[in-house]
Amino acid sequence: MKMKRRSFLKACGVMTGYAVLSVNIASEAFAAAMSFVASRQKSVYAADANPKIYKFRKSQNNPMITKIYNKDGGFLHDGPCGHKSHELLHTEYIDRSAKLSALKAKGYKLNF
Amino acid sequence: MRLIEGVMYRNYAPKDGTDPDRITFVQVDADKCQACGACEEVCATGAIQSINDDEIHQVVDPVACMNCGQCLTNCPYGAIYEGVSFVDELFEKLKDPDTIVVSMPAPSVRYGLGECFGAATGTYVGGKMHAALRKLGFNYIWDTEFAADVTIMEEGTELIDRVKEQGEKDARPLPQFTSCCPGWIKFAETFYPDLMPNLSSCKSPIGMLGPLAKTYGAKETDTNPKKIYTVSIMPCIAKKYEGIRPELTDSGFSDIDATINTRELAYMIKKAGIDFNNLPDQDPDPVLGESTGAATIFGNSGGVMEAALRLAYEVLSGEKLNDPNIKVVRTHEGIKTADINVPNFGVVKVAIASGLKNAAKICDEVRAGKSPYHFIEIMTCPGGCVNGGGQPLDPEIQASLFRSTVAQINRRFRARKIKA
Repeated sequence: MKMKRRSFLKACGVMTGYAVLSVNIASEAFAAAMSFVASRQKSVYAADANPKIYKFRKSQNNPMITKIYNKDGGFLHDGPCGHKSHELLHTEYIDRSAKLSALKAKGYKLNF
Repeated sequence: MRLIEGVMYRNYAPKDGTDPDRITFVQVDADKCQACGACEEVCATGAIQSINDDEIHQVVDPVACMNCGQCLTNCPYGAIYEGVSFVDELFEKLKDPDTIVVSMPAPSVRYGLGECFGAATGTYVGGKMHAALRKLGFNYIWDTEFAADVTIMEEGTELIDRVKEQGEKDARPLPQFTSCCPGWIKFAETFYPDLMPNLSSCKSPIGMLGPLAKTYGAKETDTNPKKIYTVSIMPCIAKKYEGIRPELTDSGFSDIDATINTRELAYMIKKAGIDFNNLPDQDPDPVLGESTGAATIFGNSGGVMEAALRLAYEVLSGEKLNDPNIKVVRTHEGIKTADINVPNFGVVKVAIASGLKNAAKICDEVRAGKSPYHFIEIMTCPGGCVNGGGQPLDPEIQASLFRSTVAQINRRFRARKIKA
């Protein structure tokens, strides 16, 4: 195989890169990204446990939840998964696999 | 095109009735792509591939893309843009005195937004966020967190019902999967449609708040629902797809009129000249605004599970759950499983996964009939919504030219090994 100028420069880059680096930087970058996520996660749990931010920690204790599900005249008075809930808050799903098969039939390789 | 918090956006707000499967929500700018392949590595479905000999990448078809945007947040070159943005339309609606604009921010937005104004990663800015939305001119500061509490009531009850009806004729199957995450839902519909009966029939929190705003909210505030314009504010790109799903019209109108993400909200606050850091902390409007700790943890992988267990425990056992911290289901990445002992009931078996490659492993298990679980939570983004594709970017990924160069070298090296 004849080596083009561009590929030659890239190969040099590869060699230089591996000469300089002895650790796997990709996994290090991944670890850095996950510590970034961890800071946000930690903050979420701290807010959950902070009574100055959230007076209640269980959904069923939210006074506005009690109000909306109130058996006497609440908007969702027939309770969770009741008639009104099914009308407004529940849904059905749509099989999209035919679109996927059509795409695969065109020759695209996907992971699943 | 317009630059918003380090990401390019096309100014395109799809009209009602547009087929969401035809819209490209995430795409690569071929001129900026450096062929490093970082996007391909993080894409679970393989929707983003190299399309020529120079290994320039593209999302090959919107059908294969779950719109999670993990490629976008992991691209070291800022080469990936968003294809949909409601920002201009929203600015117009906020100016229109005849439109009642309703805010619906997701839990995770308040843990990311501050970063765009110089705060440390993860800083909670919920109070300032509500104040900023008021300043921007939103008429009602309602909150998706309230709907997260509603979701727990609905989804927790559904789970308890499913467990009770096992053995009966026409029983809905177990395990029950969560249905909050739009990337996961599209994934299940596309790749595992046979598991659709296992999906909770509950809409996501935003899917619930939209119709509640135009029915219950309209009634409580004496507002004509026709005038209400609901704005979903998300840490997510896939929620833009969910927002225009044609079936979400149970209020009698389009339930969700616009969807923006954390970066776009930061852009709007800056554009409006609001001094975010000096805003006072404010509460949302109570009718559809008050929320609990159970709602805010929806943003983390394992959060929906923990919130649901805080309800299921009390309903199934008839006892009070003294310590709401169920740390065994909290998860940083990958797959986690747990057995929860519920008095007067028995063991509730649960699994939590984030990242669609992990989701696929769990789906294969369920498909094979080998899944021992009652309830499974799936999130598309590793770690959950706090790491969503619509959140402020991790400064580490683009900041270091050195690191991105190394990523490129690594990629080339691996590609060479495979070819050789």
